[in-house]
Amino acid sequence: MKLITAIIKPFKLEDVKNALHAVGITGMTVSEASGFGRQRGHTEVYRGAEYTVDLVPKVRLEVLVDSKDVENVINAIVKAASTGAIGDGKVWSTPVDDVVRVRTGERGSDAI
Amino acid sequence: MGTRERRERSDQIDREIQSLYLDALSRTDVDPESIALAAVGGYGRGELSPGSDIDLLILHSGDIPADSLSEFVNAILYPLWDSSRSVDHSVRTRSETSSSASADIKAAMGLLDIRHVAGNISLVESVARDTKESWIKNFNKYRQAVHRSIQEREEISGELAYLLEPDLKEARGGLRDINTLRAIAKSQVVPVALDRVAAADALLTNVRDSLHTVSGRGRDQLLLTEQDAVAADLGFADADVLMFEVAKAARSVDYVMALTWHRIEHREGRSFFSRPKAHAVGKGLEEIENELTLVSGFDIASDPGLGLRAAAMSAQRGIPLSIEACIAIAENFTDLPDPWPRQSREDLVALIGAGAEMIQVFEALDQEGIIGRWIPEWEHVRFLPQRNVLHRHTVDRHMLETAVKAAALTRQVRRPDLLLIAALFHDIGKGFLNKDHSDYGAELMVPLAKRLGFPESDVRTLELLVKQHLLLSAIATRRDLDDPATIASVLAVIPDLDTLQLLHALSIADGEATGKTAWSAWKATLVQDLVYRCTQAMQGVAPAKALELSEAQLNKVRSGELSVEIRGREEGFEIEIVSPDRMGLLSVVAGVLSISRMDLRSARTRTVEDVAVMRWLVALDVHAPQPGEDQLLALLQKALDGDLDINAKIEERIRNFRRFPGIPVPPPVVSATNDIATDATILEVRMHDQPGVLYNVTKIISRFGVDIRAAIVATLGAEAFDTLYITDPQGGALSEERAKTLATQIERHILTQ
Repeated sequence: MKLITAIIKPFKLEDVKNALHAVGITGMTVSEASGFGRQRGHTEVYRGAEYTVDLVPKVRLEVLVDSKDVENVINAIVKAASTGAIGDGKVWSTPVDDVVRVRTGERGSDAI
Repeated sequence: MGTRERRERSDQIDREIQSLYLDALSRTDVDPESIALAAVGGYGRGELSPGSDIDLLILHSGDIPADSLSEFVNAILYPLWDSSRSVDHSVRTRSETSSSASADIKAAMGLLDIRHVAGNISLVESVARDTKESWIKNFNKYRQAVHRSIQEREEISGELAYLLEPDLKEARGGLRDINTLRAIAKSQVVPVALDRVAAADALLTNVRDSLHTVSGRGRDQLLLTEQDAVAADLGFADADVLMFEVAKAARSVDYVMALTWHRIEHREGRSFFSRPKAHAVGKGLEEIENELTLVSGFDIASDPGLGLRAAAMSAQRGIPLSIEACIAIAENFTDLPDPWPRQSREDLVALIGAGAEMIQVFEALDQEGIIGRWIPEWEHVRFLPQRNVLHRHTVDRHMLETAVKAAALTRQVRRPDLLLIAALFHDIGKGFLNKDHSDYGAELMVPLAKRLGFPESDVRTLELLVKQHLLLSAIATRRDLDDPATIASVLAVIPDLDTLQLLHALSIADGEATGKTAWSAWKATLVQDLVYRCTQAMQGVAPAKALELSEAQLNKVRSGELSVEIRGREEGFEIEIVSPDRMGLLSVVAGVLSISRMDLRSARTRTVEDVAVMRWLVALDVHAPQPGEDQLLALLQKALDGDLDINAKIEERIRNFRRFPGIPVPPPVVSATNDIATDATILEVRMHDQPGVLYNVTKIISRFGVDIRAAIVATLGAEAFDTLYITDPQGGALSEERAKTLATQIERHILTQ
């Protein structure tokens, strides 16, 4: 099993959700996140006052998947989240030892 | 569900405790003469909800040996605990009970309901007597503690009428408040209108019982997830109807509570010689002991603007509007003309622009039904619940909270009045079946704005603000801000930068009022980014246009003499002054008008060929004499000749104004930009209005050694927005550095005022 984490642009959330739905993923965790990568922050002048956007708003998405689905899911996210511009985000996967569904106590792949 | 069931539940517990008592007596050597069991609190009143605590007081004479007493108490309590009832018990002698009552207000109020259950009845009767006597005798001492506990509960649990998931017991307007009212009634210090809360008491208690039954727990917070089941259990059509009734009940409790406290605080009969001093603060209005009231004998019915004037004055000065005044205004209510006079509109803006102070005043008026008569559209959203996880408040309260948040953002826009009005009505279209609330709200806003007397262009702006109040948040979170099409789609809807700034401020106020989940720093950044990108794509801001001169005015200019012309207007006066220009002229004129006790509402001035033409719109201060042309001319001449100490008189006016506590207002904003078209520096001053603002600002400018070529002054509600066109004596705009220094000097001066 793997945990796939994706950092994407906020407006791409709907597209990514739909793409994941299309490859059979029904559950995910979404949270508001801020950060920067190679894009860095930028300085803007607004109403005469300078302000620095050093942390860019992003959406963080987490999905637990069976190891065999990893490629499929990552591809779906990347395809849906891409605009080709800087700041499109990143997707990574991490191995997961065990998963338990709290309500039923099911474990491992059954709990996904 | 009802009183009968609660009584039966209480009787059942009585029987259980009585049998435990007999059992305990038989198992210990305690003398029945020296012990008694009494019920206090809700149980003392003989009313038990399914999940209520059993408040039990075990009274003893003090001469039972400790071991026996503890054996006896355990014999009573253990069986109760074992039957998993929640028991709140205390074991005390008569004197211990007295001292615990004087230390703990909750205990004291619980004891007022003491009832004998088992054992020596005279022990219970003496405690009941002690409690009642002490309550009446020491009410003044208790009163502070009662007030504190009401305030503490409100801070923690909020107001029952406006919360979507309220605590029926602890929230303001809830069951504990009803209890407090009962306790106050027992003190006999003031009459308490308990009959006005009887229906609320029955409803709230029934809802609480049902909640305990449905949830299977003794918790008093009515969560969204349980509202449907409670509504069905009590036979309401749906949860919305239930919550509407709960809100209505809470409001009536709140009202009686306010009325009761008001009576308590004013009950001391004052002797004739120490009558408090009344200060006239406006036509028909006076301030007595930090409360705004009506001048007695004032003809309320003939002055339809009085209510709004009183409300604005009360909110802006941070002093409450007396309940008697609210009742009198409601009883003598006269409709405002359609459209409203400008002054009434500005009073409404000043009321809602007062920040948090406004809510109390608004509430008082709403409880007397006055708001609904001014703004019939308000009736539909009154107490209207919203079943939405993001929201905390009913629709009416959410709009009030939004207006409070908007009041802090008035410096960020060029039309604070439009921001405040849009904030107060942005969700007015909620609660209509099959209608989008933004679209329908905009439809309702148009006739409403016209009735308030806004000109057509403002009506359109308000319509747009209500219709699009969710636009920026929606676009910022769901569309690609890097895509030029996204920015173009916003620009297609929003005509200019002023409107964009208004919409931005409205989005922030709405979001902040909704709650932390609706308006995170994350979302704020996205919206700000969108607004920034739109601003970049828009044209620069067009400053207000200076006065156009008529032929008649030009003729006066050519004569080159000082002249004054006064024309009466619907409200106040229009004063036209023509004078040879000189450094500091505007400051002198503004100062003279101000010390003549005129409130400057708006002004436009322009200098042509070294002659200044100024048109002022002023309102007269209460008790100020009618202005006469000759008089004003003489005063102006005196001031221009340097024979009048304007400074001292302005200071005096400001001091007089400051007698009132005042309300927190956002700091002033002064900005300077160079305008190529007019070759002048445009100075914009946005601040809270107070006497002598323009005099002081223009004084600093003339001291700075620059000319004021034109000025546009506007007072919008309680906000002043002044635009000044400034040039160097040689002509032309100031250098950027000098302009910035001047702006900083003005800002610093206003801040220290």
